[in-house]
Amino acid sequence: MSVALAAVVGGLFAVGTFLLLRRNLVRVVWGIAVITQAANVYLIAMGGVQAPTHDLVPVLEGHGSEVPQTADPVVQALVLTAIVISFGTTALALALSFRAYEENGSIDVAEWGEEG
Amino acid sequence: MSFLVVAPVVVAIAGVVLAFLVSRWPRVQRATSAATGAVYAGTVATAVWRLVLGPDAPGAAAYQLGGHPAPFGITLVLDGLSAFMLVVAAVVGLASITFSVVFVERDNQRVYYHPLFHCLLLGVTGAFLTGDLFNLFVWFEVMLMASYVFVAFYGGARHTAAAVRYLVLNVVGSALMLLGIGGLYAVTGTLNMADMARRLADPAASGIDPAPVVGLSALLLVVFALKAGLVPFQFWVPAAYTTAPLPVTAMLAGVTKKVGVYAIVRLYFTVLAGAAIPVDVLGVAGDSPLSFLAPVLAAMGVASIVVGGLGAVSRDTLEGTFAYSSVGQVGFIVVPVAIAAASTGQLRQIALVAALVYALHHSLAKSLLFLSAAAVSDATGTNRVRDVGGLAGRSPVLAGAFFVGILSLVGLPPLAGFFGKFFVFDVSIRWYATAPGWAPLAVFLSLLAGALLTIVYTTRTWTGCFWGAETPAVEGSVVDGRQLAVLVALAAVVVAVGVGFDPVYRFAETAATAATERGDYVEVVFPDGGGAA
Repeated sequence: MSVALAAVVGGLFAVGTFLLLRRNLVRVVWGIAVITQAANVYLIAMGGVQAPTHDLVPVLEGHGSEVPQTADPVVQALVLTAIVISFGTTALALALSFRAYEENGSIDVAEWGEEG
Repeated sequence: MSFLVVAPVVVAIAGVVLAFLVSRWPRVQRATSAATGAVYAGTVATAVWRLVLGPDAPGAAAYQLGGHPAPFGITLVLDGLSAFMLVVAAVVGLASITFSVVFVERDNQRVYYHPLFHCLLLGVTGAFLTGDLFNLFVWFEVMLMASYVFVAFYGGARHTAAAVRYLVLNVVGSALMLLGIGGLYAVTGTLNMADMARRLADPAASGIDPAPVVGLSALLLVVFALKAGLVPFQFWVPAAYTTAPLPVTAMLAGVTKKVGVYAIVRLYFTVLAGAAIPVDVLGVAGDSPLSFLAPVLAAMGVASIVVGGLGAVSRDTLEGTFAYSSVGQVGFIVVPVAIAAASTGQLRQIALVAALVYALHHSLAKSLLFLSAAAVSDATGTNRVRDVGGLAGRSPVLAGAFFVGILSLVGLPPLAGFFGKFFVFDVSIRWYATAPGWAPLAVFLSLLAGALLTIVYTTRTWTGCFWGAETPAVEGSVVDGRQLAVLVALAAVVVAVGVGFDPVYRFAETAATAATERGDYVEVVFPDGGGAA
């Protein structure tokens, strides 16, 4: 499981970095979307799955039922927050790229004027 | 009284909401926005006095959001270090919003200027107050989201290009920050900074292996250095600073840069310093994450001083010069932080004081200079040093305020900058005295070179813009009196900090103590000493 997750995170980062280094602005925006998702998958993986105990899921204790294997809820809360933030950032990035394309007359980042 | 800890955040949120609510009436919106800035400054002053500095103050206080006890909820902590940074933010923020009202074109203010400005202030406030690592990430995003829009604010080719680059760079930074935070959570099992500090100081008790912490902290160091604009992550600074509206640039250079420095100090000195981990950087062995921080941060600081100084000398506009100057000056702030990491006991203490005093000085002087540049461009229509001349005769008051700013940057007594430079050189020499070698010597020499470069570029802007015959752009130009009032007030603060330095020094000392006294920090967050250890 952890090997598969590590491979997925590594693969996503590789794809994201590759896209980020393109000259086409749309690909760059795709790149930042992929990289943030890679970070989210990594965060989920950091929580891990813990051995089932009643301490972990106190609500099941009174019901006498078996506790299933439990994933760490903290990282899921974190990822939820991170997803919302990356949503907003990606939307802003798309709007901004359209405006930058209009203003600079090119979607090729390398053709834009240099900053002083 | 612990509600005072959260009060600055609430006021900043109220500022965002109010500015939106009254956005149909521009005049009311401008007044509300400036008034909220003043209320914010008042709230920060009250909170700092009642909780940290006053005679009956406890020295530090924590607020558990939603009443969830630490480490399960989010904790906000106001201690000496947070208080010091908040006061800087309040002073610069108030000056910047007041100046914005009289400087930014009326039509442009009608858009989203005021809500965004308070959003920026909100992000900064939260970052200074939070005691939770993931929450720090969220506040960083709040701050960044506002600054992306500000960089793109004027919407031209230059502005949108700079904003896209700034955004892409910071999104990558945010992803790295998530990696660092997630890793630290996996290693220590907590996100609460106090809890993490406690567990790292005694890893056996909580059954954790702290070895990966150094590498993960390096990821966070990269992110914080990116926010602070340290070499080699400085390349976004000039483009962003020259395209954002100038009052916002004053805020970016004066306050959001310091968030990066603050985060480095908080993470390494408060949270990680207690961990005993063997470290080996370039053959220099040590036993805590600080031994990793010292050489890396010293190298970054020295490089920033040199790159920033050389870049500033070669710029042809006022804001370009000051943007590069910001890179160099942040180098002056982090070099003493690196010295603090490399040493122990009293030297660590005074090195942190030096860094904080310099940070205060730089925030005040640099925002004064960016606002002066704004006044110059408003009066003459240009900011090229070549096209402006003889302003001293046209507006002696503007010249006076600008002069105070550059003299403070150079480090002349009795201004705030004198004490900043004095302490930085003092700790650099003390470091050489305690550990003679090529590294402290190289650091000292680069500080000296940086100080000389500062003299060169400040003199160049001064003689170029203010002396000589009046150029066509200057003839007939009128400097706005209300803008001058803000500049004079800020210049008076720079002078006052230098003249009445004793209380400022004691405040900085309190802040430095708060940064290094891990026990006190943990005590404030876990008052009963209990919780899940």
